[in-house]
Amino acid sequence: MKGIVGLFLVLAVMVIVPAVEYAFAAGDEPGEYLDRRVIIWNLFFRMMTIAFVVGAVVSGTMIWQVWRFRESHPKAKPTPYEGTDW
Amino acid sequence: MVLELQKPRPIWQIMFSTHHTDVGLLYLIMSLGFLFLGGALALAIRAELFLPGAQIIGDAMTFNRIFTVHGTTLIFLFIIPFASSVGNYFVPIMVRYKDMAYPKLNAIAFWMIPPAGALIWLGFADFTWYATPPYSIISAPGPAADMWIFGLKILGVSSVLGAINFIVTILKCKHPDMSIGQVPLLAWSFLSSSLIILVAIPTFAAALLMLLTDRLGVTGFFNPAMGGDPIAYAHLFWFTFHPEVYVLVIPAIGMMYEIIPRFSRKPIYSFNSGIFAFVLLSIVGFSSWAHHMYATGMSFTEKTVFMVGTLAAVPASAMHVYNFIATMWNGRIKFSTPMMWSVGGIALFFSAGAGGVANAAMPLDFTTHDTYWVVGHFHLFVMGTIAFGSIGFLYYMYPYVTGRMYNEAMGKIHFILSFVGTILVFFTQHVLGLYGMPRRIFDYPPIPEWIAMNQIASIGAMVIGVSMVVFLVNMIHSAGKGEPANPEDPFGVGGKYYYPFEAKNPSH
Repeated sequence: MKGIVGLFLVLAVMVIVPAVEYAFAAGDEPGEYLDRRVIIWNLFFRMMTIAFVVGAVVSGTMIWQVWRFRESHPKAKPTPYEGTDW
Repeated sequence: MVLELQKPRPIWQIMFSTHHTDVGLLYLIMSLGFLFLGGALALAIRAELFLPGAQIIGDAMTFNRIFTVHGTTLIFLFIIPFASSVGNYFVPIMVRYKDMAYPKLNAIAFWMIPPAGALIWLGFADFTWYATPPYSIISAPGPAADMWIFGLKILGVSSVLGAINFIVTILKCKHPDMSIGQVPLLAWSFLSSSLIILVAIPTFAAALLMLLTDRLGVTGFFNPAMGGDPIAYAHLFWFTFHPEVYVLVIPAIGMMYEIIPRFSRKPIYSFNSGIFAFVLLSIVGFSSWAHHMYATGMSFTEKTVFMVGTLAAVPASAMHVYNFIATMWNGRIKFSTPMMWSVGGIALFFSAGAGGVANAAMPLDFTTHDTYWVVGHFHLFVMGTIAFGSIGFLYYMYPYVTGRMYNEAMGKIHFILSFVGTILVFFTQHVLGLYGMPRRIFDYPPIPEWIAMNQIASIGAMVIGVSMVVFLVNMIHSAGKGEPANPEDPFGVGGKYYYPFEAKNPSH
């Protein structure tokens, strides 16, 4: 689980840093300005890149765990909770 | 356990009962009836779109009527009543109370739905489930449109009554020994969605009244010829119906929270994060309605605010998905039919959510606005997540309701066909939208890519239709001839069935 949390944090930073960057992108020099269309498309492509990475990780994890933790798997063993009144 | 089928009673005793399991059974049977009616209309739509040109539906207006009633039926007469059925069966038991807080009000809330359904079906309005103004106020034919408005009005009142009952039952009638933090997540999901209903529905109730008086010519709230603004209706509608999406999805997620730990043979990974995510979704659901209206000339700042508001739902949704994954991790998972539906539902929930993130981003939203992308995205949520969660739970509660087991093989066939069909229909519709096909059209130009993708989607719909026949046969046959269920552990996962036979509240 630590790995998943770590990955989530990395991806969150990847989203937050560019967003903060835009806030200061105009600079103090006169004549500099932001082209909002360019920025929003840029943000969109970054978001989609992250979405596909997260999607691949989550979907892959689900497919693997469905295969690995099924009760008919050779390495399947009773959970600590079986037989208790949880 | 209800066991009507083992201890038959005159049907009127069930119909006029105020006991929560009886009302739950009525909700269940009625919602499944409307599922098949609405599904039949979906098949007609897909058959019509199999090829360009008129196929089986004679004209565009009839087509409009069919998809209007299809959407209205499956949202308001299947999904919401089905959730009410589950809530009626389980919420009082979960909070250890003898019944719902107001049993008579509960029965009244149910009995408002059949006349509302009759108004919608006998009218067969043609202005989409959004009741698009100004068409709906200027030229939509009556009395169909007026019957739809009255039908929705009645359904809104029924929803509010049901929501009040769930809130009072959970907050005021729970056992004194039980803190609110000990209430199961399924009951929490009903608490969250009921609170959303209380806040959201009155807005649409007002909009419906305004729509009606506009149709009567008394007012012109949404009539441009009288100085009104159809966009005002869009705001009122989506202020209710974007949160309404969460009203639909939150109970389905609550149902998955019942099933996944049970079949993973482990407790839920993080109970508190489940509660937190429900509450968070309930709040942020109200911060995103205008993302449906980016194309109506909103300012850049407004669009940015609603884009961020929409994206705020992502962390809460992700918390549910990670909670499910972490619960299954290191479990010993039994893939009985309810579990298959739940895991399939999570996978499709994630896919639908990813499409929603793309929708929320302004640039792609302009590209996909009013295309089949939107149809695919919405249906992936409604069918892939909400219906999958609900049908999975129906299999889970089947032994509880009937005392018998359904046929496991048929249940799995039902799931596999539905899963494949759902992907064929709704993933394809996303791509079809990117190819530019507008939604809500009766005919389309013979563009080869459009034809091919429409045919894939229509075949997928037929696959789902076949799966529903398997489902119907299984439900009916097993109710009378199925193996008697082991009330202690009907699914053989060890331990006791979560709400064992003895948990049935006595009639009062």
